[in-house]
Order: sequence, then C-alpha cells, then structure tokens
Amino acid sequence: MAREVISTGNELAAKAAVEAGARFFGGYPITPSSEIMHVSSDMLPKVGGTAIQMEDEIAGISAALGASMTGVKSYTATSGPGISLKAEQIGLAFIAEIPLVIFNVMRGGPSTGLPTRVSQSDIGQAQYPTHGDYASITLCAGSLTECYTQSVRAFNLAEKYMTPVFMLLDETIGHMHGKAMLPDMEEIEASIVDREKFHGNPADYKPYDVPMNKPAVLNPMFEGYKYHITGLHHGDEGFPTEDAAQCEFNIERLVGKINTVHLENDGLDDLPDYEEVDLDDADICIVAYGSIALGAYEAVKKLRSEGIKAGLFRPIMLWPSPINRLEEIGKKFENRILVTELNMGQYSKEIERIIKRNDFTTLLKANGRPIAPAEMVAKVKEMI
Amino acid sequence: MRNTLRFTGVGGQGVLLAGEIMAACKIKNGGYGLKTATYTSQVRGGATVVDITLDDEEIRYPYANEGEIDFMLSVADVSYHQFKNGVRPGNKIVVDPNLVHPTDEDRKTWEIIEIPIITIAKEEVGNVITQSVVALGITNTMTEVLPDESLIETMLSKVPAKVHAANKKAYALGKAYALDAMGTK
Repeated sequence: MAREVISTGNELAAKAAVEAGARFFGGYPITPSSEIMHVSSDMLPKVGGTAIQMEDEIAGISAALGASMTGVKSYTATSGPGISLKAEQIGLAFIAEIPLVIFNVMRGGPSTGLPTRVSQSDIGQAQYPTHGDYASITLCAGSLTECYTQSVRAFNLAEKYMTPVFMLLDETIGHMHGKAMLPDMEEIEASIVDREKFHGNPADYKPYDVPMNKPAVLNPMFEGYKYHITGLHHGDEGFPTEDAAQCEFNIERLVGKINTVHLENDGLDDLPDYEEVDLDDADICIVAYGSIALGAYEAVKKLRSEGIKAGLFRPIMLWPSPINRLEEIGKKFENRILVTELNMGQYSKEIERIIKRNDFTTLLKANGRPIAPAEMVAKVKEMI
Repeated sequence: MRNTLRFTGVGGQGVLLAGEIMAACKIKNGGYGLKTATYTSQVRGGATVVDITLDDEEIRYPYANEGEIDFMLSVADVSYHQFKNGVRPGNKIVVDPNLVHPTDEDRKTWEIIEIPIITIAKEEVGNVITQSVVALGITNTMTEVLPDESLIETMLSKVPAKVHAANKKAYALGKAYALDAMGTK
C-alpha cells in the first residue's frame, strides 16, 4: 500500500533522507531550502540521528562529510549561493570518494539573486560544482512524490558509487503543498543500498586499491581500519602521491566510475532516468524537467485536445544525461523539439551536444517566474 | 471541475495557512488540491500571493492560469493591484475596504465585495491572527468549493488547541458576513 501524504517538496525531501537511513544533517539555512533543515532537526533526533546548524555553509558540508567518513549516511541542504560556498568541500568529497547527498533547492542567481523565486539556473553548476575533473550524479525532482523517491535514490547512488550526489528541487516544487503518494516503508527498506566494506585483516586494507571504474571501499573511521583521507591525489592507502600513472588512473577512474558505467549499463541503477508522456505517436517533443515539467504535462494535454500531437520527454537524472535515449529522440523528432527551462539554455546546450543539431526551439525564462502551460502551447503552435 | 482561488496580502498576515487548509481539505475529501505561494525576500510587508487549485482530477501545474481565477480575496493594496488581473472578469473579489482600494474601473470589471476582515478578527473575534480563518469562512461561503464541516475540521487540526474556540468563531463570522454581503442572510 502506498502512503498518501499532504506535504511540501522540502518536507518530503527531509522525510526521504531519514527514511533512506540518513542519520546526520549538517548545514546552514537558506531560502528556499530551509525547511529541509527544519524538518530534519525535528525528525533526526527522534531516530537517534543528529541535525546541526553550523556557523556557515562551508562548516555545514564539512560536518556532514566528517559524519559520512564515520559510516553515517549524511546530507546537507542549500540553494545556489550555498553550493558556491561549499564548492571546495564538494571537491574533497569527489576526490576522496565520500558519499554525501547535497540538496539544492534552486532560486534565481547569480550571487544572492532572487532568493524567493523559482529558477533552474544551477543545472550547469550541478554538473561542474567545483574545479578539477570528475563526473557528477544529479537527480531532479519533477513532482512532490519524486521529492521523496528520488531523494531516497540519491542516498543509494551516493553509497553505491562513493560520491556526492546532487538532488535538485526548485522553489516551486520545494514549497508547493499538496498530495503525494509515497512507497510503503517495506519497499523503501528493501531498496536501501549501503556502501561496501572491507572485512579482511586491517593490515591488508587498501581503500583506494580498486580496479578501473570501480568506487573506493572506505570503511567507517574508528573501526580499526586505518587509512588517510586527503584532497591531494593519493595512492592505494590514501597517502599523497604525484606519480604520473597513479594520477592518470585516479582521474580516469573518478570519471569512469560514473560516466562509463552509466553509458555501458544505460543507467546507474534499475530506476528510470527519464519519463516519457505521449511520445510514441507525437509529432512534437517537449523537453522539460523539474517544476517546469508540471506545466508541460498540461500543455501536452491542451495541445492534444486541439489535435496537435505533442509529447513530453522529462529527464529525471540530469547528469549523466540519458544520452542513448536523447540520441533516438533527436533522430525521430529532428528539429521538432521544444526545450523549455528556467535559465538561459543550460540543458538546451546538452541537448544540442547530444542530438548534434541546433535548429530546435527553446522557451527559456530567467526572471524568477514559472513558465505557464499557455506559453508552451503558444510556442508549439509557432513551430507548426 | 477545477476551481482556482487566489489570496493576496503582505508577508506575515497568514494568507499562506488559509491556502494550505483548503488544499488539505480537498485532498481529505478524495480530490486533489495544490497550494503555491509567491512572496518576496522582505520578511514582512512584501506582496504575497497564494494560489489554490482544487480539482477532482489530478493537478500538475500548481499556479493559477492568469485570467482564469474564479475568486480572489485580498487584504493588502500592494498585492491586490499586482495580482488582480488573474481573476476572470465578472467574478468576485473580496477586499478589506480599510486596506485595499479598488479603482472605479475594477468595480466595472469584477464584482468587488467589501468586508472589513481585519477589523472583524481584531474586534469581534478579539485576535487579529484569526483573520486568515475569517477569510477562509468568507471564501468557502462565496465559492462553495468544500463542505463547511470538513473545512472547519481541517482548520482546527492546523491551529493550537487553545485557540480552537476563537477560530471556530472566526470561521462563523466570516460565513455570516459573506452571506450578508451576498444578500442571503
């Protein structure tokens, strides 16, 4: 039996974290993400967990990383300006391979931008949130239910691939209040992934001595398995090295454990990376993600009621992109594609890269306001 | 059938809660309800608008479609003028006449109804915070979108027990003023 709840996206994200097994939150409040911290600070102590408001964004992620190193599933929540501040520690999480879920409830930017208004302008930031080479996993909730289900997935992916995972909401979806259907707890518990552990002799333990495209095996700190954690390039036991072959291997493995695995397996887990609505017989394909997809569903319905065969492609995993399927969509729809997003074309550029054409249509907005279904309908009518 | 309602005020007046109560009540009655709020980064005093969409079918897009709003209630001039144009011409807009000043043109475009919501809460209920529940009583009486009993029950589940009596009174007053304004008392 699914669970019916009446809630907001932010509350559901926090609920998902706790029910996915997370027991530590470290962060600093920022609109429009603060409710994730509020709810976490209420829920976590009741299950033996800890929520701590640190002195700033940097300290917030640092505390969460430290907790994760002890084997506790951990998370932080912020908005774009907070990600900018956390950038350095996000880099540490990538290179040291520390699992962490980073919620970003997007608002208008750059800088402090439009604190209370909706935006999807952190899509590019989520792909490359810090300097250096690595591959990001980024999920984007397209409904209240997904604020829960995709957040659970984010924790599982972080543990499976030993990496920070970005869970994107936006102001609209984070604050909207309505009905969501959640999977029952048995289903959630059965889906939980825990990071791998080395069970052999501590003297033989080498956390980073793993094959190409495999994640490190980091045992929780303070359990007798000793290793070094650093942001410097490191060898098998985590101690710094500048060995050319080792450094090359490190970076190829960091990128490959996500991008190569995603391409080869057509995904990083068994869950869908995208949703399609009415695409089979469609003449026009609307591409939309996050809260903008909410308007796109209604636009598709309206267009179909007027005899225009529109369909929707909604990426759920933004990074890595659903490349294989997008290539097929590019071949099928050619230039009859409308990409609509709340930024100046950050995901449109990815579509352009994948389908290798730039003659499709875009409907972009970056003024802190949503895109109404009527605007999408009008844009599609211009295309035909 | 879809109903779209809009409450406008300024930050701190509690219009958000009234919207949440209506959406929750619709869901409890087996339908779909969504509430979205748009506000500014000012803590208090910034224009705030709450859109409430109620339907028996699933609702995806959470904002009101401009020009299609069935009913609006406003307790602040700044947000009244900013958001009034979303209301379908000819439909009802309830305003607090001490705070909101519609133009002559507005009175031709919409059915403007004046009810001193804040004064009712302050002087007749005795607690200004109950203004959102007075508004709730007015709104539901004028739109008849939800069963009164169920809405009151949902409302009481969201306010502290010690103010249950005051809020029940606020709802009843809202209803009475609305009936009076519609000439059906």
